[in-house]
Amino acid sequence: MATVTSPVAGSVWKIEVAVGDSVEVGDELVILESMKMEIPAEAEDSGTVAAILCEEGGQVVEGDPLVELA
Amino acid sequence: MAFSWAEQIEELHERRTAALELGGPERIARRRQQGRGTIRERVAMLTSRFQEVGILARYPEIDSAGGHQESLPSSYVAGLGEVDGRAVAVGGEDFTVGAGAPQMYLDRAKGGMGGFVEDLAHEYRIPLMLFCEGIGGDVGGIDLAGHSYLVSSHSWGRSIELLSEVPVIVGILGAAAGGTAGRAVLSHFSVASKGSVLFAGGPPLVRRALGRDITKEELGDAEMHTRESGAIDNIAEDEADAVRQMRTFLSYLPQNVWEMPPRIPCDDPVDRRDDELLEVVPENRRRPYKMRRILELVADRDSVFEVGPGWGRALITCLARVDGIPVGMIANNPMHLAGALDGPAAEKQVRFIDMCSTFHLPLVYFVDVPGFMVGPDAERGNVVRKGMRAIQALHESRVPLISVHVRKAYGMAGQATASIDKLGMRVAWPSAEWGDMPIEGGVEAAFRREIDAAEDPEAFRLEAEQRLLDASNPWKTAEAFGIEDIIDPRETRQVVASFLNPAFASMASRLGPRNHWRMRP
Repeated sequence: MATVTSPVAGSVWKIEVAVGDSVEVGDELVILESMKMEIPAEAEDSGTVAAILCEEGGQVVEGDPLVELA
Repeated sequence: MAFSWAEQIEELHERRTAALELGGPERIARRRQQGRGTIRERVAMLTSRFQEVGILARYPEIDSAGGHQESLPSSYVAGLGEVDGRAVAVGGEDFTVGAGAPQMYLDRAKGGMGGFVEDLAHEYRIPLMLFCEGIGGDVGGIDLAGHSYLVSSHSWGRSIELLSEVPVIVGILGAAAGGTAGRAVLSHFSVASKGSVLFAGGPPLVRRALGRDITKEELGDAEMHTRESGAIDNIAEDEADAVRQMRTFLSYLPQNVWEMPPRIPCDDPVDRRDDELLEVVPENRRRPYKMRRILELVADRDSVFEVGPGWGRALITCLARVDGIPVGMIANNPMHLAGALDGPAAEKQVRFIDMCSTFHLPLVYFVDVPGFMVGPDAERGNVVRKGMRAIQALHESRVPLISVHVRKAYGMAGQATASIDKLGMRVAWPSAEWGDMPIEGGVEAAFRREIDAAEDPEAFRLEAEQRLLDASNPWKTAEAFGIEDIIDPRETRQVVASFLNPAFASMASRLGPRNHWRMRP
């Protein structure tokens, strides 16, 4: 199990994966919006998306969990 | 008793041998358990030769009742070292003796503020490399002297003077408290091994003053100081890594401010064009990218050494070489706050530019800054004054600066990236954009009334935005010679090297200390 966390404080702009998707290292899972920039949160391990821990439009701070990988 | 050469030489030998035992095998064993080395092991790791000074000095250990317990070697090791072929003044506390006790028990301090090793660095104009580990102050001294002393009877003058004379490089390996912590931060570069701690006052003082129980680590570990406070520049995996970083930092700097920084032969072609430079910056201008990669591609291969990677993260500061010339590289980091200059990033810029200017390292600035950071947190953090200090540091620096405009340069933060008071040599990539403020927010602010009055406000706003975006492309600025040149990103290394060569040579006629002092707001 690996938790992908938010690299920045901002809002969740787009969730690009769904539960059950398999992902590779470097895949963009969630795109955050902060300071008018689109900042991707990427998978650091390959695996399967076990849970989505955020919602589009929601606010996050740095380190908040976004996606659970199994 | 008659004088006997044989006895005296034997005595000398015994005294020297006794000094090598430090605080004794038990205390050395305790350090081993903590994964720490002794001061003598650290000095041996750093230097290829070490001519010790003051090995015979002793420490009279005092117990809590004021009684004399035993005589140990003094709590400081100092001398003249050789580091990568260079003469260097080296010193450090011995934590096995009175926890690196201040050397008030000696006629003359060996190190620490104003100690012998600092005079050595000052008089011989050689770098000072210190291992700082000690408790700083000690009430035990009252027992020894029979009275308490006013700390202002001792001066930081020499330590401060050294900052404008020779490189001062510090390794914090263990606990540095009070005066030892103060000594550690009066440096051009500091590195702490993981698990080391630094604070003004340790947990017992915090408990007494604030009634709060806190561990040393919670109070001031190396992780916090390199990520939040910025009191320490870099973190190291272990002691060997810390020593390696101290040597690497020194390799870019001259022996003193009266000399040029060392240029080394370069086998990486200056006209190397990396196609990767065309791919780093995304075409979608809302997408950030890895700025550090640009620095690596422009600098001589494997020559980039980042200073302070963990704190003030909106700004990247690195020592590097281009065509063998040592330089300071500064870059905005679009991955953090979109590169906006906040208070910590501004402080980091001041510290880094002051250091580069002191040691005649030309600057190369990779620009992508949307402005000073905005918002209530930034204002509470005094972003305007700190940002203006960053501009002042650049204005007052005495080294050539080449600015490479990668993407944004908006607002006052743009003025912290180049200085027309000097040559103002600025080149831009075609991806660059600039202005008083980013168009999107700027249109709202500038045309509020017209937008509100328009039949279709949204359409009016978009049209105004597009008109201004069209006019703000870098080509039109280049036509007005408002930017010195626009270049293919792949030409960056060659263009930077072309200007750095004569710029670096010009430094030879501008050596010496910074004489004038001006107030910073």
